[in-house]
Amino acid sequence: MNLFLTNAFRILATTILTIICAVAISKTARAQESAKEEDYFKIARVSAPEGVVLEVGGLTVLPNGDLAISTRRGDVYVAENPTAARPFFRKFASGLHEILGLAYKDGAFYCAQRGELTKLIHTDMDGKADVYETIFSWPISGHYHEYSFGPKIAPDGSFFVSGNVAFGDEEWWRGESRVPWRGWIMNITESGQMQPWATGVRSPCGLGIIDGELFYTDNQGDWVGTGGIWHVKKGAFFGHPAGLRWTGLPNSPLTLTTEQLYAKVGPRQDKNARGRYIKPENIVNEKFVTLSDVKNNIPALNLPAVRLPYAILGISTSEIVPIPLGNFGPFAGQSLVGDQGQSKIMRVFMEKVNGEYQGAAWDFRAGFQSGVLRMAWAKDGSLFVGETDRGWGSDGDASLGLQRLVWNNKTPFEMRAVRAMPDGFEIEFTKPVEKKSGEDISSYSVASFTYKYHPVYGSPPVNNATCNVKGVKLSADGMRARIIVDNLRKDYIHTIMLEGIRDRENSYSLVHPIAYYTLNNIPEGPKLAMSEVSTKKSVKPAAKTSVGPSTVIMTSATKAAVKAAPTYNEVQPMLLKNTCLACHNATKKQVGPSYTEISKRRYSVAKIISLIKNPQPQNWPDYATEMPPMPQVPKAEAEKIALWIRSLAKE
Amino acid sequence: MIPRLRLPAAPVIFFISIFLAFCFDSKEQTNISLNDLSFFRNPGKSWSIVSDVTADLNKPEAMSGLPGAGILLNLPNKNGTDLYTNTEYGDLDVELDYMMAKSSNSGIYLQGRYELQLLDSWGIKNPTSGDNGGIYERWDESRPEGKKGYEGYAPRQNVSHAPGLWQHLKISFQAPRFDANGKKIQNAKMLRVELNGVSIHEGVEMQAPTRGAVSNEETAKGPIRLQGDHGSVAFKNIKLTSFDKPRPELTDLTYIVYKGRFDAAADISKIPPEAKGTLASLSAGSINNLPSEYFIKYTGTLKVSEAGDYTLNVGVPGGAGILKINRQPVSTSGRRGQGTFTSLPAGNLPFELLYTKNEDWTDRSVSLAISGPGVRQFILGDLNAGIDGQGTDPIYVTAPVNTILRSFMDIPIGIRVVHAVSVGSPEQVHYTYDMDHGALIQIWRGGFLDATPMWHDRGDGSSRPLGTVQRFGNPMLTIEKLASPETAWVTDTIGSAYIPKGYKLNKSDVPTFLYQVYGSLIEDAITVIENGQGIRRQLTVQNPSGTYYARLAGASSIEEASGGMYLVDGKSYYIRIDDAGGAKPLIRDNGSRKELIVPVQNKLTYSILF
Repeated sequence: MNLFLTNAFRILATTILTIICAVAISKTARAQESAKEEDYFKIARVSAPEGVVLEVGGLTVLPNGDLAISTRRGDVYVAENPTAARPFFRKFASGLHEILGLAYKDGAFYCAQRGELTKLIHTDMDGKADVYETIFSWPISGHYHEYSFGPKIAPDGSFFVSGNVAFGDEEWWRGESRVPWRGWIMNITESGQMQPWATGVRSPCGLGIIDGELFYTDNQGDWVGTGGIWHVKKGAFFGHPAGLRWTGLPNSPLTLTTEQLYAKVGPRQDKNARGRYIKPENIVNEKFVTLSDVKNNIPALNLPAVRLPYAILGISTSEIVPIPLGNFGPFAGQSLVGDQGQSKIMRVFMEKVNGEYQGAAWDFRAGFQSGVLRMAWAKDGSLFVGETDRGWGSDGDASLGLQRLVWNNKTPFEMRAVRAMPDGFEIEFTKPVEKKSGEDISSYSVASFTYKYHPVYGSPPVNNATCNVKGVKLSADGMRARIIVDNLRKDYIHTIMLEGIRDRENSYSLVHPIAYYTLNNIPEGPKLAMSEVSTKKSVKPAAKTSVGPSTVIMTSATKAAVKAAPTYNEVQPMLLKNTCLACHNATKKQVGPSYTEISKRRYSVAKIISLIKNPQPQNWPDYATEMPPMPQVPKAEAEKIALWIRSLAKE
Repeated sequence: MIPRLRLPAAPVIFFISIFLAFCFDSKEQTNISLNDLSFFRNPGKSWSIVSDVTADLNKPEAMSGLPGAGILLNLPNKNGTDLYTNTEYGDLDVELDYMMAKSSNSGIYLQGRYELQLLDSWGIKNPTSGDNGGIYERWDESRPEGKKGYEGYAPRQNVSHAPGLWQHLKISFQAPRFDANGKKIQNAKMLRVELNGVSIHEGVEMQAPTRGAVSNEETAKGPIRLQGDHGSVAFKNIKLTSFDKPRPELTDLTYIVYKGRFDAAADISKIPPEAKGTLASLSAGSINNLPSEYFIKYTGTLKVSEAGDYTLNVGVPGGAGILKINRQPVSTSGRRGQGTFTSLPAGNLPFELLYTKNEDWTDRSVSLAISGPGVRQFILGDLNAGIDGQGTDPIYVTAPVNTILRSFMDIPIGIRVVHAVSVGSPEQVHYTYDMDHGALIQIWRGGFLDATPMWHDRGDGSSRPLGTVQRFGNPMLTIEKLASPETAWVTDTIGSAYIPKGYKLNKSDVPTFLYQVYGSLIEDAITVIENGQGIRRQLTVQNPSGTYYARLAGASSIEEASGGMYLVDGKSYYIRIDDAGGAKPLIRDNGSRKELIVPVQNKLTYSILF
């Protein structure tokens, strides 16, 4: 095993095995299980008549509380009394082209079709649109992947829309911008004046206005190591090079060229002996660059405010919506981010440090029936969730859905916020922390990593390191813990794990004990003195033992390289820790093929290991989502997983 | 969401395309010479050979021809007779163009017995077996009144064109089969009938001859009979492909199986075989205990009774195949195999097929599709070949009320129209509008749209018209400012300040399209004419800033007829100027093609009839 794998393993092991341990410990130590997501946030259904195909592309709540829904089949419905047992659905408009966004302004709807921003007006009082006005028609080549999203309404009343890149013909893995403003965010006025706003987007499915500022989300893919949330400023570049093709046009707000970028990060458009392009694959031992390395040379490159680690916090980031004051209790003022592939919602806390947004992300609520694409707030403070996974794949049993997330007004024990400090982090809780666990530094662990910036699909986590927690200062009311952390790295994602923390009331552990903080800037300011903090450590250097079980697993896995196939129970922790289960299920088609399906290919163990490192998605034409390279999976575990997969095949 | 491009799932598509292909075999095709009537037996006086025909859209039975050759015309005038070919046919493909006069009636009887009805059915919404394209009913005088006619087959939809326009028909007919004692063992079949580009019958078995057959006795062969006693009709471009030769037979078939992964060209001489045996017919699936990855060598004899050019397709999902006949490789097939055209002598030819399967998850199946001189394509091999790919249920969009659907729209000249709006009507006439040019790009009759390409799986954003489509070529602006009537039509929108503005719906959801060009607002109102005879288009220009022209057609031919009518594209459709505000339309040359343009002051109304 090389050094990289060892490091990769360590971080993942620390991250996840400790959770497993913690959960195991808490299960055995306490009779009562800690509360879970579903004990606070219930998923309710929204009843719709048969024949209404709600493959939700856009959601918006009208001033009167009605819910408007746009669908991938091109309809716009208005549901009256949408939180009642039997809402009334009125078809407001139809025949539009795969509408993936919907907004309402001054009595009219606005939606992004694949090729234009359209205003829908009803003038003859029958509750149905009769004017379908083209506000602005943008170029599009007709490639399937050229989805368009939006609009979101800016404070000045103008509209933001965004457009996916197409993919190459021979280079089917490479996002390209075939016509102007694909791979861009556009600003459009009511009168149809379009201003190209920012580029470098790849699959910008989620636009959101938060406190008057525009944010967007993107998915991992070529040039995008992992999903995330970006603050959108005019003239910004977010990393995917396709849209740079048009920066020479007169109304481009930036001048960065493709060549200038490629001089810093090569596109790897290499050909084989037969003159065919070679798909760039992850190279395990290479000198790579990260987004922040390149930003040093290319200031137009904007880093994500918050990164969402691939397969942990989603695999296909969708919409971001702010939580209004008064909704969802302690989380008002923060944001929720959907994930289409994992059919769940994450929570994001952002703060401004040195003038730039950054912050923390957590899991929030999983278990929706299909891929979460859109969210909108009902008047009663619950959250409508619009879902679809047709052709894209997702968790959940349904291919579409309209559901509602309802808070039961009980406060879950969560990290309310994490704030960067000059010497570490301050964690704010939703409920008082029990003092003993809160003042014990072995309740806290921190590690950090980042991703490559390269033309390959996705990236393994790289440059992993653990960060020593040296001390903690718990506030008198138990609501805040400030930790001193060694080895803070600017531009890295810091994994903050609080498995040992218990609340004062029930001795519950945190519903979501891990935060992922994207540390774009380390703030200036006073540091804590060691005299102010608790350095109590209940688990002595043997804290390493938290890595212990992983060693055990590794050893046993290595030994298990003897041919006997392991059971599911044996491999399940490995599948979980390596995030395999984010996309694969043992028996059911999920985002990727089931393991049983894979077993039918009768790949050899060596072949499966090589496919984990460098997948060949072209072998699975029925699955929309490509698997990223997973070289970080330790060989011994990959081998055990491979043996198990092979054992599923029926002769 | 991370929707990604995938390589096409090659094997399945490949199989479907081969096996379901509508195969008109060009090699054995006879183009009937219409320089005279010598192809026909004792032609009656109503039949003649002419160079051009014209029918009157409004006057029953009115049709006339010009002296010359190339078109077969029947003007019965109450004394018409049926026309029979000299030759008798069994299995047969017929392809032809025909034109009906208004209210006219004719028919094509295969073997003189099985009639496919030809009728002026323009504007009929619910066609019967007695309408254009129907398989006419049988008749039994002994049945009670009102029940004498039975077992007719209506076309799947009415895709007829207007009288006076050429319609295109393709028939694949299979003759009844008889045993050695002359007893019928298989009914006659319309394997497929395609009218104006739309399939209207598939696999229709006919128990017995239809009404008015020359005889109710069925036979292996019979002449083609064109009905000539009912009405004016013209035919041209008649192509016949007869399939009357014996199929090549594969006999003495043996196999040897080798286990493992091989290249189809692998040297297997030193490898111990896994199994051997003989087969009654070509098959992989019926070999017992076949491993999941294997190499099979089949050998046998291909008995070819007719020398000539054959097309051979080897189907081997998940592997590769090499076919050798007479020890010569004639066809290789793998994931993307194509049919190979090869010349075979008559005789008992050594046959060898080397077949490897290296994808253990694909079906064990092998097949060989053969077509050749006088031999309609048939398939030897396993029946399960390719069945995996047929699982997608189509998603059709109907138009029981005026219905609009936007999508990408591919037009066959290689253009994807990306801002396309398709408008469907309960009159069963629909059209697609290009919002990038304010242009009509196609009009069709029949079903509305197949949205499967857009709504199945992640989709590619496109839909397809379901009926008989009249296309209008490369999309261009409908309105341009011309310096003079000779100024060429500009093919792009640069310089026209074209801005699409969308559309508004009336109370019946019929759209009027809106756009700006040269700063003028254009309203483009399109309505379907009653009974679905076509569409009427009204262009209204606000504040014109110069001399605007409208381009109504660009086509291979435009002929002026009476009453403001024009026949366009080899009599494919009519344009009728309803109101040009007194302006004079102009037919002008555009390279080798023609254009119909007309100056527009404030308003122009014209119709497209087809």
